[in-house]
Amino acid sequence: MNNKITIRRLPTGVPGLDQLLGGGLPEFSFNLIAGTPGSGKTTLAHQIMFSLAAPDNRALFFTVLGEPALKMLRYQQQFTFFDHSKINQSIRFVNLSTELLEGDFDRVLARIATELKEYEPSLVFVDSFRSVVHSAESEGRNVLDLQRFVQQLGMQMTSWQATTFMIGEYLASESESSPVFTVADGILWLSQNLHRNSMVRKMQVVKMRGQSQAPGLHTFRIGDAGLRVFPRAIVQPNQAVGPAPAGLTDRVSMGVAGLDEMLGGGLPAGYSLLALGPSGSGKTILATAFLAEGVRCGEPGVIAAFEKSPSQLLNNRLHALVSAGQVGVIDTRSLDLSIDETLHDMIRMIDRMQAKRVVIDSLSGFELALAPEFSEDFRGSLYRMVAELTSKGVTILMTSELEDRYTDLRVSPGGSAFLADAILVQRYVEIAGQLKRIFSIIKVRGSDHSKDIRMFDISAEGIEIGERLSDYDGIMTGHPRANS
Amino acid sequence: MEDLTLQRQQIIASLTEQQPENIADAAMGHWQQLADEIITIIGEAGFASLYERSLHLAQATFPWLPSGTLSPQTPPNSHRFAELGMRLAEQTQAHARAAHSLLLTIFTDILASLIGEQLISSILRAVWGNLASVTPDKEPNNE
Repeated sequence: MNNKITIRRLPTGVPGLDQLLGGGLPEFSFNLIAGTPGSGKTTLAHQIMFSLAAPDNRALFFTVLGEPALKMLRYQQQFTFFDHSKINQSIRFVNLSTELLEGDFDRVLARIATELKEYEPSLVFVDSFRSVVHSAESEGRNVLDLQRFVQQLGMQMTSWQATTFMIGEYLASESESSPVFTVADGILWLSQNLHRNSMVRKMQVVKMRGQSQAPGLHTFRIGDAGLRVFPRAIVQPNQAVGPAPAGLTDRVSMGVAGLDEMLGGGLPAGYSLLALGPSGSGKTILATAFLAEGVRCGEPGVIAAFEKSPSQLLNNRLHALVSAGQVGVIDTRSLDLSIDETLHDMIRMIDRMQAKRVVIDSLSGFELALAPEFSEDFRGSLYRMVAELTSKGVTILMTSELEDRYTDLRVSPGGSAFLADAILVQRYVEIAGQLKRIFSIIKVRGSDHSKDIRMFDISAEGIEIGERLSDYDGIMTGHPRANS
Repeated sequence: MEDLTLQRQQIIASLTEQQPENIADAAMGHWQQLADEIITIIGEAGFASLYERSLHLAQATFPWLPSGTLSPQTPPNSHRFAELGMRLAEQTQAHARAAHSLLLTIFTDILASLIGEQLISSILRAVWGNLASVTPDKEPNNE
C-alpha cells in the first residue's frame, strides 16, 4: 500500500494556468503572486477566488494599504467572473489597514487569526503583502522581525488548512532579499514587457513545490473574462518534427490537377509544405485549392490569414468555404500577437472542427502581426509551432513572400525553409515578351518528386499547370534563352 | 437593479420609521452597525471619507448637522457618532428622523455609485438582514 500523502490540486479557473502549474494549485500551499504595478496580480487573485469559492470552500480576502478597497471592488466588478451571489456566503473582504497603521505585526496576525476563526475560510488572500513589508522597512524594523512574521503567517495558514495567496509588488532585484520568497511554496511572477511600442504580458511560475511546472515565460492576455494564459509550446521529447516515415504511404491531394503527380503522389499526410513566391504569383489560390480539396474529401480545414483584413478576406471560393463552416478562420486581429496565442487559437479551432488541413497565409504577414519582441525569435517559435501542429496529425501549407531577385534564388526567407518538409517555389519569368508564371518542387522530404520547371496559369477555375519548359535554359535567372 | 435600490430605500425607511423613544440613540446605533461592517471591508479611512462627504451633502438640507471630521485614528467602538447623536437630540423627533434618513440615503447612494447596487445590497443584508426579509417580494435579482 502506498502511504505517501496525495496532494489535491485545485483547478484555478484561469484558462491555461493549470497547465503552467503542472496540474493545478496544491491544496494548502502558501503562494506569492508578485509583479510590477499593473501586471494583473489583483485580477488574477480575484479570478482564482471567484472560481474556487463556494459555501463549503469559503474565501477571505484581506486588503491592506495599497489599492483602496473601494476602488478594487469598483474595478474588479467589471470582469465577468465577479459573481455578486458569492459575496458574504462564500467570499468576505476584510481591510487590515487599521492594524497595520498601528505598526504592530502581532496585531495584524491576531486580527487575521480572529477573522479565520470567525469565517473558517479554505482560501486566504492578502493584497497587498508589499504594504506590510513597506511598513516594516519604514519603521526600521529588522529583517528578522519581518521574517518571523512571514513564517508565523505561513505556519498559521497551513495549520489552518487554507490555501493562501500573498499578493505584492516586487521588482526582480528584490526577490532574493525578501523572506517571503523563501517561505512561499509557489511563486507566480507577472510582468509587462515593453519592446519598441508594444506591450506583452508574461507570466512565470518561478517555483511550485512538489510538482513540475512549465518552465519559462508564458504570455497572457487580460480581457473581459479576466486572464487567459497561453502556455508556451514546448517540443516534447517524443514529438519529432514531421511525421514518422510510415506516414509517407498516406498522401493528401492538393486539389490542383497534375500537382499530386509532381509531389510523388500527393503531399504526405502530416507534412508541412512551404509555398514560396513573389506577390501575386498565386500562393493564396494554391492554399484555397488545398483547403477546397480537403473539404471535398471530408477533411475540414483551418486558415490563419495574415495578409488581408477580415472584411476583404479571401477570394470568393475561400469565402464560400468559410461561410459554409467548412473552413475555420483564425482571428489575427492585432499587431501584438504571440506565436503561442495564435497556436492556442489554432489548436482550439482544429479540435473543434476536427480539421485535417491547416493554412498559414503567410509567414511574412504572421511575422509582422507578432509583437516585435517575438519577431526576433520567429524561427525558433515557428519551429515549435510546426512541431506542435504536425504532432496533431494535420497537414500544413504555409506561404511566404519571396523577393524576386533574378540574380540569386533564396528559398529560405528568414531561414524558415528548414522546418518545411516540402517546398514549392513560384516565380515570374519573361518569355517571348510576356511575364509568365513558373513553379518547381524543390523538396519533398523522404519522397521522390518531379524536378520539372513548369509554367502555370491562373484562371477562374484556379491553377492550371502547363508544360515543362524543356526548350529553355537559364529559367531561374528570369531571362530564359531558347536552347535550340 | 431598480428593485435593489427600492429595497435599500425600504430598509432605510423601516429603520427610521421605527418609533424608539429616542431617535438620536437609535441613529447612533444604526451608524455603528453599518460602520462595523463597512470598515471591515474598506477600512477606517475609507469609511471616514465617505461619511464626511455624506454629512457635507446632507448639510444642504439640514445645516445643523455636524461637519463630521472623523479622524482615521478614531479607535473602533469609541463614540464615533456622538456628535451626530448630540445634534439629532437637539431637534424635534420628526426633524431628526428626516435628517437621519437623508444621511443614510446619501451615504448608501455614494457607495452604490462606487461599488454598485448589488454589493451594497449584500452589505445591507449582512447588517440588517431581518429588515430586508420584511419585504419578501423584493428578492434581489442578480441580473
